[in-house]
Formats: sequence, C-alpha cells, structure tokens
Amino acid sequence: MHELRRPSLGHACMAVLRRDLTLAWRQRGDMLLPVLYALIVTSLFPFALGPEDALLRRIAGGAVLVTVLLAMLLALDAMFRSDIEDGSLEQLMLAPQPLAVMMGMKILAHWLATAVPLIVIAPLLAGMLHLPAPVIPVLLLALLLATPLLSLFGGVLVALTAGTRRSGMLLALMLLPLCVPVVIFAAGALAAAQEGLPWIAPIAWLGAALVMAVVLAPLACAAALRIALDS
Amino acid sequence: MANWIPLWLHKLSSPPAFYRFAGALRPWAITLALLLGLVALYGGLVLAPPDYQQGDDYRIIFIHVPCAWMSLFIYGVMGVAAFIALVWRIKLAEVVAMASAPIGACFTFITLVTGSLWGERMWGTWWTWDARLTSELVLLFLYLGVIGLYHSFEDRRQGARTAAFLALIGIVNVPIVHFSVNWWNTLHQGSTIRLLGPSSIAPSMIWPLLTMMAATKLYYVASLFGRTRTDLLALESGKDWVRQIAETEGRA
Amino acid sequence: MTASPSATPLLEARALSFHRQDEPVFGPLDFRLEAGELTLIEGDNGSGKTTLMRILTGLLRPEEGELLWRGQPLSWDRCSGEVLFLGHQLGLKTELSPRENLAFAIGLYGQHNLARINEALTLVGLTGYEDEAVRKLSAGQKKRVALARLLLIPASLWLLDEPYANLDRTGIELVNRLLEAHIAQGGAALVTSHGAVQFHGGEPQRIRLHA
Repeated sequence: MHELRRPSLGHACMAVLRRDLTLAWRQRGDMLLPVLYALIVTSLFPFALGPEDALLRRIAGGAVLVTVLLAMLLALDAMFRSDIEDGSLEQLMLAPQPLAVMMGMKILAHWLATAVPLIVIAPLLAGMLHLPAPVIPVLLLALLLATPLLSLFGGVLVALTAGTRRSGMLLALMLLPLCVPVVIFAAGALAAAQEGLPWIAPIAWLGAALVMAVVLAPLACAAALRIALDS
Repeated sequence: MANWIPLWLHKLSSPPAFYRFAGALRPWAITLALLLGLVALYGGLVLAPPDYQQGDDYRIIFIHVPCAWMSLFIYGVMGVAAFIALVWRIKLAEVVAMASAPIGACFTFITLVTGSLWGERMWGTWWTWDARLTSELVLLFLYLGVIGLYHSFEDRRQGARTAAFLALIGIVNVPIVHFSVNWWNTLHQGSTIRLLGPSSIAPSMIWPLLTMMAATKLYYVASLFGRTRTDLLALESGKDWVRQIAETEGRA
Repeated sequence: MTASPSATPLLEARALSFHRQDEPVFGPLDFRLEAGELTLIEGDNGSGKTTLMRILTGLLRPEEGELLWRGQPLSWDRCSGEVLFLGHQLGLKTELSPRENLAFAIGLYGQHNLARINEALTLVGLTGYEDEAVRKLSAGQKKRVALARLLLIPASLWLLDEPYANLDRTGIELVNRLLEAHIAQGGAALVTSHGAVQFHGGEPQRIRLHA
C-alpha cells in the first residue's frame, strides 16, 4: 500500500485520457455528428451565395473557420455533462491529484475527440469552397492553434454552467466574446496567405495565446467548477 | 488612525445596514440625477453652438458619450464587486455585481443605438465594424452572458458567484477584443472615421457633457441601490430584520 | 469505549450548520469522529443527510460552524486522497466495463495493478461480469462495482451515502463485512441510512438529523 502515499500524477493523467478516449470511441457515432454538421453547413454556402468560383474562393477561409467553430460549439455542452450526472466528477475532485491538471486532460481528450476529426476533414471543406491549394497548409496550421483555444475557453465556460440544467444557447452567448479574437487572427492569417502576404504574425499571436491558455484555462476551469458546484 | 474606514465599510456591508443606507441615499441620488440631466440636456441641446462640420447632428454625443463611459464604468464596478464576492464571499458584493449587470447592459444598448443613429447621419450607414463599436457590441454580449448565467441557476447566491467569475473573465477579454479588432481593421483597411477625434472641443460643449456624465453616474447609483435593496430583501427573506421591515411597512 | 478527548480526532464538527436560500437544511451539529469508529447518520428524507455528506467531502462549504480534519480546518487539498466517498451517483461510466471503471478509479490514485481489480471484483461477487458494460448490470450489481472501490483505494475515512440501497441480503452483508474490516484496521466510517443496520463490530455512534 505504500506506493499509494505518493500517487503518480502521470498515471492519473493517463487514466483520465484513456478513459475519456475509450468512451469517445465507444460512442463514435456522436463523434461523427460535428463532422457531418460541418459538411452540411459548408455545402449550404454555395447554395446561398451562388456557385461562382471567385466569390467562394474569397470567403472560403473564413467560412471553414466559422463552420468548424460552430461544429465544436455543438459538442461543447457534452464536455463534462455526463461526468456531472453520473458522479464521476465528484470522484475526480476527491482524488489526490491537482484538479486543474485533471481538467486539462479532460479538455485534451475532448479536443482529440471532436476537433481532430474536424481538422482532418478541413481540407475537404476548403476544397468544396475552392480555397486555393497553397493556402490549405495555413488553414490547417490556423485550425491546429485555434481549435485547442476554443476547447480550452469552452472548458472554462462549460465548468461555469456545470450547476445548471440546460446550457446550450447560453454557452454560445458566453463563448462568442471569447472567440472573437481567435476568429479574427485565424481568419487574418488565411486572408494574408490568400493575398500572398506574410501570414506568420497572426499565427504567432494565436500560438502565444494558446500557450497562455494552456497554462491558465485549466486553472480557471478547476476554479469555475468549484464555484459552480459549491452549494 | 484611519481605523474607522474599514470598520465603517464592514458595518455597511451587512445587509440591514446597507438596506437603510441605500434607502436614505436613493431619493437624493435620483433627484440630483434628474436635475443634472435636465441641465445637461438644456446646455447640450440649446446653449451649445452647432458644430461647424456636423451641424446639429453632433448633439447626440450628449447622450451617446456619457452612456458609453457608463457602459465601461459599470463593467468595472461589476468586476470589482465580483472579485470581492469571490475572494471574501461577501453577500453584498454578489448582489451589487448582479444588480449592476442589467443597468450596464442598458447603457451599452443605448450606446449602440445612439451610435448607430449618429453613424447613419455622419457616414450614411447604420453600422460599421470599427474597433469601438465592435468592442461595445462584445461588451453587450458579455453583459448578457453574465445575466443569463446568473438566472440559469436555481440558487441565487451560487448563480451570483458563478456569474461573477464570468464577469472577471470578461474584464480580461474586453481589451483583447479591442486590440484584435484594431489589428483587423488595419488589415482590411476599413473606415478610418473616428467618432471622437482628438480635436479640441469648445468649453460650451464640454460642460454639458461632464454634467451629463455626473447625471448618469447618479442615476446608476440610484438604480443600483433600488435593485440591491429588493435583492437583499429577497435573499434575506428568512431573517429577522426583513420580517421587521415587512411588519412596519405593512402597517404603514 | 470512548477515545480520550485530548487526542485530536480524525474529523470534528463544531456548530456546523447549512442553509439553502436561507432555509436551514440542518441545524447546529457537533460531533467527533475517531479512527476506528463507525458513525451512523440517521434522519428522514430531506433532513440533510446527503448535504452533510457533501460538506464532509469538502465538495460543499458549510455556511456556519467549523470542520476540522486532524485538528486543521478542512479543505480540498488537505483531505483529498484520505477520504473515499460513495454517493447516490456511483461515479461509474455505463459504457465501460467494471474492470475499466475500476482501472480508472485506481489510476487516479497512481495505481495500475490489474490483478487486484480481479480480486476485488471476485470479493464483491461480480465474477463473470468483469467485462460486461456497466449499462447492462442491475442496480445492485452497479452498487457492487462501486463498493469494489472501497477494497482497492486506501482511505482513512469512508463516507458512504446510503450504501445499502438497491442491495439484496448478501449485498448488505457484504457492506457490513467491508465496514467491519475497515474499522478493525483503524479506519473510520460515516454511513447514512434510513434502514436498520445490523453491525456486529460494537454499537456505532449515532447522529440524528431533524428536518
């Protein structure tokens, strides 16, 4: 029993990650829904705006970004919902591990399960809207930085709504102000790349924001969870 | 020794003391707000000369600008109250933060509407995505998020503390939004029209503006005190002091 | 047998009370919990048993009064890892098997000894169900999976909220056996129940809650 006196943080992180990813895999139908949603939304743009190549090419970057963001928002509500309902969150909070790190792992698992599939189909979405091929690597880079930011922000907000029953629309309202800068910089990089201008500055800003968020968001998430579940 | 200041504050933060204090101050605040508001309107709409470029259209700034200031000021007050509520768990701070949110949202809304009216006259468009307007819009969403989160909880104190946390996140967010929209505008070479240029304003325009600012501040105080009083009564409905008030006011 | 009052008790409550929306949930409460002692919390539905439990885990903050853990004010980090809580929600993922659920539970405590999980599952009478999804188990069997956590995770204080609910006769005996062994090893336990408890390890301390 003595090895238990100093519980290993690494093991605990792996346990959280493995469990959440196993769960996501068991319910992989749910994982496909945001992807399907993104495909549907993207295919609506040409119908609404007309199939004219030049116009679609102009909006392609922004449209894919916003579509991915909305698709992520769709899955956000479920981040901790089942853990709250079945009491696993209490077990997680009582475990002798820093809650912020555990929450960080849960957010990572959620990002892997929802954002990665969206990033994988992003080139397809971009192709549907005729985004020029040389811009696609920039799109992927922007998404690789922007989607974890959204997951981290979302994690904090979902934690805040943990004590409430329904939170879908409210979550969108709360997330919007936080994701405005993310969308601006990600879309800025795409626009610059499309015009053949240097696009590294906005990407660097996104990277800096991501580093900050990786450190701060799990702490905020843990704090929010304690506030929201207290009482 | 200035020991009496924290002591006085501590006493004031007890709900019954604040209830009485706010009740005594509120009529004065509302009267002064009305008076100053009327004086400022007279000064701004009648006495101040028309602008040499904008004619009489500019006069909307006597509403627009004080409201814009208030929308930020109230967010600041809400943020400070939210911080106090979370760190020291003082009930009054929770109530003040949550009572400020709807007032701030109203000022933000008025700012957006008057700004849009002015924009239509000045640049022929109801809306433009410049940094100031966009930040104001984001501010409105932040206010609405705080109000929405507060009301989605069954337990009001729990809702207040959670929404207070969201308000603090928003304080970090507003400057970031402002900065990013500014950056975005330079990228897209958007409109370079400035609502409030650094141009010198005539003193005859300045004093109504400052008077209106005082009037809106006083109105905020009056409105905040009114809301705080009712919220305190609702929160403390089981306590003796509320029962006493109910009895005396019921008899009156 | 009473412990000497000079020794620091494991858990001590002084004038503990809790209000929800200014309605008192339970009144000023004083009790001491020593190592090697079982305490029963009794009370009707709505008397605040579950609320008290959640306060003792540190998940909820008491409105008034003091709660001392080994003589120090109770806080999150101080008692985490020493308290094991079994609530109404069992904390099981229904899509996972009992084995996977328990692997996660001990993983949080830095362990990964799968052989012990098999032992524990045998002891709680779930042989043959190790790899079935928890969703397919009966309510009593789910409870047994949660009880297996008590065998796997060492803790000085058990907080068991209605551990007998949904259990058949052998299940109730299992809970009693687990409790006796835990007490005999010098652990402490706090158990809520509105049913009768036949506990063979001596007369437990009782706390009554009134609505």
